[in-house]
Amino acid sequence: MNKHKFIQQRQPHWKQFEDFLMDVRRNSFARLPAEEISKYSQLLREVSNDLATIRSRGWGHDLISYLNDLVARGHNLFYGAPPANLAGVYHYLAVGFPQLFRANIGYFLTACLLFFLPLGISWYVVQNNPSLATRVIPEELMANFDLMYGEESPLNKEEEKITDEEDAFLSKESTFGDQRASMAGFYINHNVGIALQCFALGILLGIGTIYTLLFNGIFLGAVSGYIVSQGNGERFLSFVISHGSFELTAIAVAGGAGLMLGNALIHPGQRTRFQSLQVRGLEAVQIAGGAAVMLVVAALIEAFWSPSSIPNLVKYVVGSGLWILVFIYLGFAGLQADTQPLPVRKKERSKPTEVGFNGGRKS
Amino acid sequence: MTSTLNSDETATNSVNFPQQNFSAQREVLSLEMQIETPENVVLTYQLAGPAQRYIAYMIDLAIRLAILFGAWMVINMVGIVLPGTAIGIFLVIMFLNTWGYYTISEGFFKGQSIGKHVCGLRVIRDGGYPITFWPALLRNLVRSADAIIFYGIGITTMLLTRRFQRLGDLVAGTVVIQERSLHLPRKPVILNKIQPLNKNDIGSFVPRDEVLSLIDEFMGRRHVLTYERGHALAGILANNLAQRLNYSGDPQKVKQYPMAFLASVYKTFSFTHPQEEDEFAVSSHPRKQTVEVSLE
Repeated sequence: MNKHKFIQQRQPHWKQFEDFLMDVRRNSFARLPAEEISKYSQLLREVSNDLATIRSRGWGHDLISYLNDLVARGHNLFYGAPPANLAGVYHYLAVGFPQLFRANIGYFLTACLLFFLPLGISWYVVQNNPSLATRVIPEELMANFDLMYGEESPLNKEEEKITDEEDAFLSKESTFGDQRASMAGFYINHNVGIALQCFALGILLGIGTIYTLLFNGIFLGAVSGYIVSQGNGERFLSFVISHGSFELTAIAVAGGAGLMLGNALIHPGQRTRFQSLQVRGLEAVQIAGGAAVMLVVAALIEAFWSPSSIPNLVKYVVGSGLWILVFIYLGFAGLQADTQPLPVRKKERSKPTEVGFNGGRKS
Repeated sequence: MTSTLNSDETATNSVNFPQQNFSAQREVLSLEMQIETPENVVLTYQLAGPAQRYIAYMIDLAIRLAILFGAWMVINMVGIVLPGTAIGIFLVIMFLNTWGYYTISEGFFKGQSIGKHVCGLRVIRDGGYPITFWPALLRNLVRSADAIIFYGIGITTMLLTRRFQRLGDLVAGTVVIQERSLHLPRKPVILNKIQPLNKNDIGSFVPRDEVLSLIDEFMGRRHVLTYERGHALAGILANNLAQRLNYSGDPQKVKQYPMAFLASVYKTFSFTHPQEEDEFAVSSHPRKQTVEVSLE
């Protein structure tokens, strides 16, 4: 067939497909009737065929690039993933995230080691030797902690502001809830940011993650040790116990996800390094996303529940309940769901699967 | 000379053996990315280089700062009533702006942040599929690792990988492509005044379709070149063709008016039936004028 004749014959179809693409861009793809979609999906195949024909006959670059772009856009449209919806979010939180977490629990345990061990050590050391705290904590922060958890602490009198700094932007008549809201914003911005960074830096062979975990572990341990050594332990622990459940666990979860990224580069297994990075990266980011959600929950608890003037006993009870809740959520949520998350069995996961099996028997 | 021949050669190579590009990855630095669709058609995407992406990044940065500034103004007004809540909301906005701007825009608006939209860039999966939420989140979380030393790490990996992927792209399996605007192929150049070559003047050689397309495209774009340059380039091809064709007509025509010669070669071989020619002459009337003028 002659080139010109071919173009003349096919051009109306191309134009039709182009109009369809423009149309879909303005309106939604989902709103099209079924027969329209099947009609245009057939048209996509036809245009693909035209592209192959023209390319094999060498009928000009202009034409090839035009058809190439036409097919590319169609391809993009017809092979796209279904749109996300609220049910998907629920499924992710109830099933997908805990399952993925358990499938890769080895990384989480490693991260726990890197986070809680230095935390415990520095807590122990600083509590017994408070003068060492100055090596880790800046002076003005220490003064702040004394103020926060000391006798004059706002934890005792909720109507007052937490620190001097807040006086600058909080007017006198701000209420408890209002004040708390600002702290909630602060915790979300600060804590979730740290966790996400902790995850993302894992791509640098895990070094960034390890550093963040160690640093935060040592720092938090030193702060806790210092406050307890100043005799404010009671107020501090009752403050920390509730949100600590979500917060500390989530930091370790995010750190574990970061270690996953780093390990994907170091031990790619049967894949190439880039392939392994892609496959594990997609799992790791879903775990990190879960950690971010947990941290948002923690921030809300920390802002609205932890500093309220509820008897310490209640706080301890509720706090322990939250720890158990976190344990149950991560350990057992989604166990019965049919859909299995891409389980790439690994040696270092032998321990975690035990935990999983135990859970299976119990529930 | 080399340029025309080379482009012809590479064109035929890629046309005849497209599978070569898959079996042995080409070593040459290329802005093209090829993928194969389920319809067994090879699609080509044009990759976006670091410079374009830098411009898009600057635009996005300006927009993010503007969002923060706008939020600050609004929050200040709300702050008169509820100062604490206002600050809380502002901090959450700041968080979303830092960590969520790209994820939301790329994940939910088909791989385009505003800056990318302005620059005509788009993020897609490296299989040619549109990007979804999780890869978008992943590539933009890892952005904070790329951003170390003023995006030094990102730029380095971008230059070291064949598809200009920064670390975030490598993890998420995404590439940034440049979108071309769809434009209908030009109507073939119709040369009314040009007579086909006399059948007695030429041998039995028939130029391949690629050569005819080359002539067609060359003449379509001749305005891009200066007259002298176009003349010289056309002369090379005209000489070669005249030799191959054993052209025994007026040698002056090849020397003096190579473009006209090419046009008549084109006309001789691309329209085998006279009525096709007529159809086209009618359909693209306005083109005639320009062709006559510049072909001289």
